[in-house]
Amino acid sequence: MSLFFQTLISGLSLGSIYALIALGYTMVYGIAKMLNFAHGDVIMIGAYSVIVTVMSLNLPPVIAILASILFCALLGVTIEFLAYKPLRKASPLAVLITAIGVSYFLQNIAQLIFGTQQKAFPKIIDLPGIRISGVEINGITLITLAVTAIIMIALTLFINKTKVGKAMRAVSEDKEAAELMGISTNRTISVTFAIGSALAAVASIFYGATYTYIKPTTGSMPGIKAFTAAVFGGIGSIPGAMLGGIMLGVIEQYSKAYISTTMSDAIVFAVLIIVLLVKPTGLLGKKISEKV
Amino acid sequence: MAKNIFKNAIKKAFSKDALTIYFVIAIYAVISVMLYGGFASRQLTNMLISVSCYIVLAVSLNLVVGLLGELSLGHAGFMSVGLFSGCLFSMWTVDLLPMIVRLPLSMIFGGLFAAVVGFVVGLPALRLKGDYLAIVTLACGEIIKNVITNLEITGGALGLTTNNSDAFIYSKPKELLPYAIVLVLVTVVVMMNIKKSRHGRAIMAIRDNRIAAEATGINVTYYKLIVFILAAFFAGAAGVLYGHSFANIKPATFNYNMSIEILVIVVLGGMGSINGSIIAAIALRALPEMLREFSDYRMLAYSILLIAIMLLNSNAKFNELKSKMSLKNILSLLKTKKAKKGGAKQ
Amino acid sequence: MKKLTSLVLALLMIVSCAAFASCGGGEEKDANVLVIGGIGPLTGAHANYGNSVKNGAEIAVKEINAAGGINGFTIELDFQDSAGQPESAVAAYGKQMDDGMMVSLGGVLSGETASVVAAAKEDGSLILTPSASADDAIKDNDAAFRVCFSDSSQGVAAANYIGANNLPKKVAVFYQGDIDYSTGLYEAFKATADANGIEIVAEESFTADTESDFSTQITAIQNSGAEMIFMPIYADQASTFLTQAQGKFADTMLYFGCDGLDGILGKVADTAICENVLLLTPFAADDSKEIVQKFVASYKETCGGATPDQFAADGYDAVYAIKAAIEKANITPEDQADFNSRVVAAMTEISVSGVTGDMTWEASGETVKLPLVMIIKSGVAQLYTPE
Repeated sequence: MSLFFQTLISGLSLGSIYALIALGYTMVYGIAKMLNFAHGDVIMIGAYSVIVTVMSLNLPPVIAILASILFCALLGVTIEFLAYKPLRKASPLAVLITAIGVSYFLQNIAQLIFGTQQKAFPKIIDLPGIRISGVEINGITLITLAVTAIIMIALTLFINKTKVGKAMRAVSEDKEAAELMGISTNRTISVTFAIGSALAAVASIFYGATYTYIKPTTGSMPGIKAFTAAVFGGIGSIPGAMLGGIMLGVIEQYSKAYISTTMSDAIVFAVLIIVLLVKPTGLLGKKISEKV
Repeated sequence: MAKNIFKNAIKKAFSKDALTIYFVIAIYAVISVMLYGGFASRQLTNMLISVSCYIVLAVSLNLVVGLLGELSLGHAGFMSVGLFSGCLFSMWTVDLLPMIVRLPLSMIFGGLFAAVVGFVVGLPALRLKGDYLAIVTLACGEIIKNVITNLEITGGALGLTTNNSDAFIYSKPKELLPYAIVLVLVTVVVMMNIKKSRHGRAIMAIRDNRIAAEATGINVTYYKLIVFILAAFFAGAAGVLYGHSFANIKPATFNYNMSIEILVIVVLGGMGSINGSIIAAIALRALPEMLREFSDYRMLAYSILLIAIMLLNSNAKFNELKSKMSLKNILSLLKTKKAKKGGAKQ
Repeated sequence: MKKLTSLVLALLMIVSCAAFASCGGGEEKDANVLVIGGIGPLTGAHANYGNSVKNGAEIAVKEINAAGGINGFTIELDFQDSAGQPESAVAAYGKQMDDGMMVSLGGVLSGETASVVAAAKEDGSLILTPSASADDAIKDNDAAFRVCFSDSSQGVAAANYIGANNLPKKVAVFYQGDIDYSTGLYEAFKATADANGIEIVAEESFTADTESDFSTQITAIQNSGAEMIFMPIYADQASTFLTQAQGKFADTMLYFGCDGLDGILGKVADTAICENVLLLTPFAADDSKEIVQKFVASYKETCGGATPDQFAADGYDAVYAIKAAIEKANITPEDQADFNSRVVAAMTEISVSGVTGDMTWEASGETVKLPLVMIIKSGVAQLYTPE
């Protein structure tokens, strides 16, 4: 029984990180209607910026975290401005390919600056774990779960209650109509990218704190997994991203613990396919009514 | 009557499709002369087969992405299924059959195997669409990779060794080029005929409006499955060729990154454009090789060029310029000249 | 008819243009320069391995040139990126041949090396791969050699060492299921475990896609009652594993790794996690031998303080082995006749004292050298003496 709960905890730990990344992914998708394949690489850049500020500039962790969030937000806006904005009227696939190009670009630029060897992420979060009847819960896991939940609630409130959030929803529903109502689509999308990339920076801190080592290609796999998680939960849905991420993490760990460590990926993806076949728009996705 | 046949023959011989085939034949003619005449550089020689495979992969993926309008991120998975099954078939029959029979048979065998998997992957496509289908194809590709990595018969993570002394199927570019040419030509002709036919129009109708297509009596289930099966078949056949050209093949190579690379070729070449896929496959595979002079900055330069090309491609002014300079315009100019000449003859 | 002739003409024109282009670039080669080619992943997911080999080889080239070259040759390293793909590696090999490469370091990864070795068979030129360890990587080409051990020989050596010495026999294996190095070692180890009285109590694995979280595997090993973990993996993944395993196992737990773990002390954030790591390896950066210390010092100087790993050491030794072979074959800038066959023949006659030990080569291409066994105690690797 202890194995069951221990696996649940490690699943929650992994899943909460997927969820955190998926939140940024799904947010950009919901508003800009594009798959931002470079999202995972923004996480990698965020982690490197923490390494630089803490290790080289010797700044305290709090400032490093804030600097990383600010830097990633700026980076997100810049990428959007340079690479995605000119493609506003292009096909979604053209934007997708550009995002892949941006992803290659970020990986290669990181490799040129930081080298190809992995770098250790500084210990900026140090929290003692707790033990409940033989099951160990890591301190970082607790914080990650809490932060993910807080961000999810904050994002939901932000989108539903604030003026900018309403503008986002309007742009998401119908770009042209929103424009006619006096909403600046470009500004709204820029804000979306700023928030999405800032979330990536937050994710990078927890990713780095949990898994310790960062390489230029670190972001790509969590990026794909988060994309999967976002679709799993229903892409565009904020609670869906959280649910999808955690489900994905838990399924992955259970299949590793009880079935096979070599086949865990295949099992996770097979479950995903089955879920999507039963619910074609993900767990919490909106039903799309088809028009002729 | 005779005049009409003659006219039709000329029309056919200079149709856009025929020109595509001439174009492919011309490229391969030049390459063959270079390769067998000893003019080809070693770098070019060593790239020929893999670039040919990418042409087939891109043209076949174009059927799914361009014609059916569904995003597929698992094309490398089909390739890998075809590759491993076809190469195994080739290894089993290496002592029984000469290469000229064995390799085409292996391609068909691998292609059929991949087609079966394509059918299975196509099933979810009946219920899902857009990004949800994209993630399912990505998932299928990753499942295929994971399963083959754990299969003993394909050598597991160690991969398949094709220059094994018991079953030596590894072949040099000089031996494989004729097969590559035939495979590319067959793929191009089949895809072109599908695109032009009633079936192609049905598939495009599904892309443009599924419900309307269904209402006019098009069997959506049938066509969606057929598209996935055909695309997988050719990807599998290309995989077999690819497998014969390298001494060691690992299942981990065929991950989502490779699927994405094929998708990039299709999008860059233009949705539904067979010509475009061929040119883009050659250009995009040659580009990293040409950038070798940049050494450390090679892949950085590649990524910047990729973004720049996409931005330029969507630029209205550039497109205007391009349409003025396009092959089609130049050809139509030529055609009118030819027509005048033909008239003069009579 | 007219159409046909114009078509033929057009074709001829294209052919001549292309032929011209392929010949036009070649400049007259300087006979005093000997180009050594290398191929490996300098970008992408495996870029760290390729860059390590490249850096190690570059140091050797610099040292050799500073000491007057080889028999009057100055050497030049032409290291090309493969991004880990066989197609790119083979194309790079072609380009190097076009550019006048004389000797090749093959590839860094096993898969790409196998394809390069096969493509190079017709050339007969020497391929000395530093790090392609898969058994099949250098087959079917008599001119192909390697600096590292083959995977199966290492796996067997590890099992034999554990069997012959007073080490725990209840062993858990932790390996990477989707790379050849790790599975190759694991399978060879497993095959000889019984004969050495080793009981494998747990077999846990991971893939490149799941290499950031090892918590379930750690729990499984905890529950298996293993007293030693055999981990035929690379230092990157091992440092993640050891970091996550910190405090989870008994203090007496031993970790047994092979040459993939070299340089682990330089990769971890906190060397305390490497306590009780045993290394069966021909190279150790902490080795007090003068040649090793000199190499480690110059590597740190050129690579921003990084500790060389097995890949770097193999790259360094490969260049010195090529030097030895050319000297043995007595090839000079004036006398380059039968370059390839003379150098290849010399490979089996040379003996090289490198940073990975004293090496000789067999005609099969395998190297003969003795591995050391080191143990890490208080953040320092020292020679291990079995009780």
